[in-house]
Amino acid sequence: MFPRPIEKSSFFVRSLYKLSLPIALFVWLLPLLAIFLTSIRPASDIATGNVFGVPSSFQLIQNYGEVFAKTDALRYLFNTLLIAVPTMLISVALACLTGYALAVYKFRWALPLFFLFVAGNFVPFQILMLPVVDMSNRLDIINTVPGLVMFHAAFQTGFCTLFMRNFIKALPFELIESARLEGVDEFKIFWHLVLPLVKPAIAALCVLIFTFIWNDFFWATVMLRDDSTLPITVGVRTLNGEFVQQWHLVSAASLLAAVPPVIMFFIMQKHFIAGLTLGATKG
Amino acid sequence: MTSVAAIDRFATSTKRAFVAAIVIALCLFALQLVTIEGMQSWLDVSRQSAARVPTFLVRISLIICAVAAAFVFVTSLSFYKRNKVAVAPWLFLAVGLVLFMIYVIVPIFQSISYSFTRWDGLYDINGVWTGEWVGLHNYKLLFQDPNFYTSLKNNLLWLLLFMLAVPLGLFIALFLNQTVTGIRMYKSLFFFPFVISQVVVGLIFTWAYNPEFGLLSEIWSWFFCETKTNIVGNLTRVCSPEPPSILGDEDTATFGIIAAGLWPQIAYCMILYLTGLNNISSDQIEAGRLDGAKGWKMLRHVILPQLKPATFIAIVVTVIGALRSFDMIATMTQGGPYGSSNVLAYYMYDQAVGEGVGRYGYGSAIATVLFLIMLVYISYFLWRMYQDEVEAR
Repeated sequence: MFPRPIEKSSFFVRSLYKLSLPIALFVWLLPLLAIFLTSIRPASDIATGNVFGVPSSFQLIQNYGEVFAKTDALRYLFNTLLIAVPTMLISVALACLTGYALAVYKFRWALPLFFLFVAGNFVPFQILMLPVVDMSNRLDIINTVPGLVMFHAAFQTGFCTLFMRNFIKALPFELIESARLEGVDEFKIFWHLVLPLVKPAIAALCVLIFTFIWNDFFWATVMLRDDSTLPITVGVRTLNGEFVQQWHLVSAASLLAAVPPVIMFFIMQKHFIAGLTLGATKG
Repeated sequence: MTSVAAIDRFATSTKRAFVAAIVIALCLFALQLVTIEGMQSWLDVSRQSAARVPTFLVRISLIICAVAAAFVFVTSLSFYKRNKVAVAPWLFLAVGLVLFMIYVIVPIFQSISYSFTRWDGLYDINGVWTGEWVGLHNYKLLFQDPNFYTSLKNNLLWLLLFMLAVPLGLFIALFLNQTVTGIRMYKSLFFFPFVISQVVVGLIFTWAYNPEFGLLSEIWSWFFCETKTNIVGNLTRVCSPEPPSILGDEDTATFGIIAAGLWPQIAYCMILYLTGLNNISSDQIEAGRLDGAKGWKMLRHVILPQLKPATFIAIVVTVIGALRSFDMIATMTQGGPYGSSNVLAYYMYDQAVGEGVGRYGYGSAIATVLFLIMLVYISYFLWRMYQDEVEAR
């Protein structure tokens, strides 16, 4: 283990380390803590300059309640779910199929197609923007949630395929080989043999894609104009414009937008990190 | 006996293929019948736009039905049964690949072709394209556009300064790579900023930078301000010098946004390195210790070589993150003040759809330049992956 385990150090160094941890964390998360404090103080505090001291009263419920009552935050959150969940399901399902095809079959196109998915995954969004908007326009799905979902699902299939293909590639190939020799149909091998084995990968991808889409801002601004379809990221930006000088409400709304991905991360931490660090240990 | 079974199987698969073909034909026929106007009168909604989502959902279900039937059709052909291993991968790939082609690969080339035209994104009433072909005109304009150079310069700044995330991430990872109680919680809390949306990070930092009541002005006041009682008797804060308005100043706006962007990016690099450190073989560390290596020497000669895969991924994601920077600029400055914090990604958006400019051709030219820059990194990344694949074989 590197650096040298702290247990082997003197008592003094050990205590110093244990003391430095919370301090470092405090400094690291200071912007977040400060905005949380702002979100629970009354508006009068900010006006009188009490921005960082102890709030004169704790208005957690009032402030957050006001955000829900005064704005469309609830609908924005619901819209985001409406975008994120179908995208997650479609792209992960498609990637199971494509990843399986590219990992298991040794045909001439396997590697070029895999690289196509990988490369497409890294292109700047702006080069896709105008043609995608134009196409959605002609398909009459611009400015609708399904229209955005179609794009997200197609685009995320690239990342999911990269992930899934490498995951399946690492499985023991002999299993599939022997099933084939037994005469099992290709689709049955996929369904009964491979799919149960890739469950961890499916979980990791679901968490990641959900978070990516939840946090998407660019595509929602480009593809959605109607207020009734906007997701929370765009909604919060709009609120920021509407609530000038009402920082306690803006910060409460911002934190609301951050809560679901954070919860998702804490529940599925293992899968989340496994997904993000794919390839950081080998290769 | 066997021949009877074979004939029977042949018969059922012919029947299957036949049924599947009928389903495909029916779906395609029904697809022609579904129109927005029809859906509008059937659902009895007044606005045409309200009928768009149901129409799309019906259409997509029909297409899914047709595709599913097509799979049944193909798999019941004897051709498939004879060439299973050759045909099956294409069946698995079909839907994902077609969608990816339509939405990602083809648009890249469309965008490049738009960049040679002058177009505002509209069609005339007959659906005929209204643009005109102008050759390299957009690129000529681009290379005379001072805003383009500002954006390009800022993109380079982003690329350079964003790279700080890699060593800083490594530093925090080394700091946290211990086994004291509660360290898991610390690790996940340090990772926190990455999970939050960039829009929210942007808002948090906009507020932190606010010269009147932001976090930075508060810290500033500890050093440069004193509280005085003014003539009326109220307490006021007098600072000298005044706290800087980071996002309002042309010289500092970009740096302010980059600093905000580094926050989540450092967290990402940290988690990559933590995973890498976790997988380092302890034998080599022990061997290094026996040779008398420790501290910096150990890091440099034993640890870093083993962290190479993590470093590679960290650099790749950081480069992509730097070139994709859009959300933060949109929330924090909108490219301002006076275009000084623009980057290509935001400038393209601004020219094409922002502020109602509608310069599709010009925007596409900017996007193409950005794409070409990214292509350098994509090619390098693919080349590295190719090397690994060849090695693994």
